[in-house]
Amino acid sequence: MGDNVFVISAAMIPFGKYRTSSYVGLAVSPLIDAIRNAGIEKSDVDAVYVGHSYGGMMTGQRICKEIGLGTVPTVNVDNACSSGATAVHEAWQAISQGLIDVAVVIGVEKLTQFGGGTLPLSPEDREVKQGIIMPAVYAMRATRYLHDTEATPEDLALVSVKARKHGALNPFAQFRKEITVEEVLNARPIADPLTLPMCCPTGDGAAVVILASERARKRFESKPAIRVAASVLHSGHVAEGFRDMTKPEITYDSARDAYALAGIGPKDLDMIELHDAFSIAELIYYEALGLAEPGHAVDLLRDGKTTFGGDVVVNPSGGLLAKGHPVGASGVAQIAEAFWQLTDQAGARQIDDARWAMTHVTGGGTAGLDHGACTIHIFEAA
Amino acid sequence: MTATIEAPASQPIADMETDSLIGNFPEGQRLVGSQCNACGCTMIGSRVVCSSCISRDVSRVALPSTGVLYSFTRIHVGAEGIRPLGYVDLDNGVRTLADIHEGDIPLRPDMRVELDVKDDWFFAPAASDKREV
Repeated sequence: MGDNVFVISAAMIPFGKYRTSSYVGLAVSPLIDAIRNAGIEKSDVDAVYVGHSYGGMMTGQRICKEIGLGTVPTVNVDNACSSGATAVHEAWQAISQGLIDVAVVIGVEKLTQFGGGTLPLSPEDREVKQGIIMPAVYAMRATRYLHDTEATPEDLALVSVKARKHGALNPFAQFRKEITVEEVLNARPIADPLTLPMCCPTGDGAAVVILASERARKRFESKPAIRVAASVLHSGHVAEGFRDMTKPEITYDSARDAYALAGIGPKDLDMIELHDAFSIAELIYYEALGLAEPGHAVDLLRDGKTTFGGDVVVNPSGGLLAKGHPVGASGVAQIAEAFWQLTDQAGARQIDDARWAMTHVTGGGTAGLDHGACTIHIFEAA
Repeated sequence: MTATIEAPASQPIADMETDSLIGNFPEGQRLVGSQCNACGCTMIGSRVVCSSCISRDVSRVALPSTGVLYSFTRIHVGAEGIRPLGYVDLDNGVRTLADIHEGDIPLRPDMRVELDVKDDWFFAPAASDKREV
């Protein structure tokens, strides 16, 4: 085990559609706010890690030069939807190994540049050439899950209802209005059985967190902080034949390793921000993260165990379904939510006495893989 | 002068030359697969490296034209109207993404499907329950 690592600051812009902002325009404000909130100077920063997927060459350097933050190593990270969390993982590694003391992590994405529609995927991929899109991947997961279990389309809708209910409490969420099961089921079909509100919205976003060693944290002692209890990154493993799409092994394996690193189990968690890019994902991930036995995720959902007042609040921010999913920013925004929840700064959506938080984000539609990447973090109130 | 060993040059793979998944074989038009002659692993598409044992001794093979529909969806977005798409587990275990044509029988997971080729290739509910390996 390496040195203890802490998140000492977080900032983000409300996710939304900012057609007149560039990657730089999206990220500079939360970058300044995160540095100020941490009570550090630019000169305290030892390295910068930047998660994005569609920002182009030197996205991090373009952002940092605007505030004269240079010289130090700046690393641009692309791991699709897991880009931001992968950037945090890289920062955690460097600090826990004692190589550096303070790292700034930026997650940023501008999806309005594509004018709407589904995410552009790699044209080199075999299944992308055949016409696969991310909603279809999750829709096939949903079809199989509904076939194999007692779950119904109403359960898929209920996930979206919960997300919108949470999002209504979150000033950073793109959708801030509640919605009913009927409205979800009657909405425009995207890929059967998924309707529009069962799919996360595209949009723009930027989030910044600052990580510090124990030594550095003591130097900036007055600020709130949370401890990184686990940081795990896995890549997908190819299957040329059968794969059970309802049991995503990349998340099962990452969760197992994260719990082992943190020394806790699923019952200890007070909150989870998980990768609910489509409503079926939330149900499947309840099982993969150990909250429910395979096939029984709907029991938790229907019984209200995963909303405020339940055993563990899943996606208190509204998740990707309500908050939005600017891919490179999402993993960092999840960690910002964990930071605010564990330091009692979450306002109307504050979870009482929250001590343990998990963030989970997968990335990438690639033929033969469950997902390209999966990053899981566990945090403890410090 | 001492004897020197020259490092062999690695060569790029011309994988953009053959990206069609359908091909002509003695048994007719079939999906193109690749079989590793070292470990026996069978894969979808024209491949030159085995993803299991990394052998380069890989042969082009015809894949079975029948299999089981693992899951499916109907895509409603995009320029092509409603497009049914699914994963088919072929009778030799290889999985492929495929357009699915719906007949009179409603699609459901685990139903048997078979390859058909008209202007393009697709799978449709199988007329019989026969397996082809």
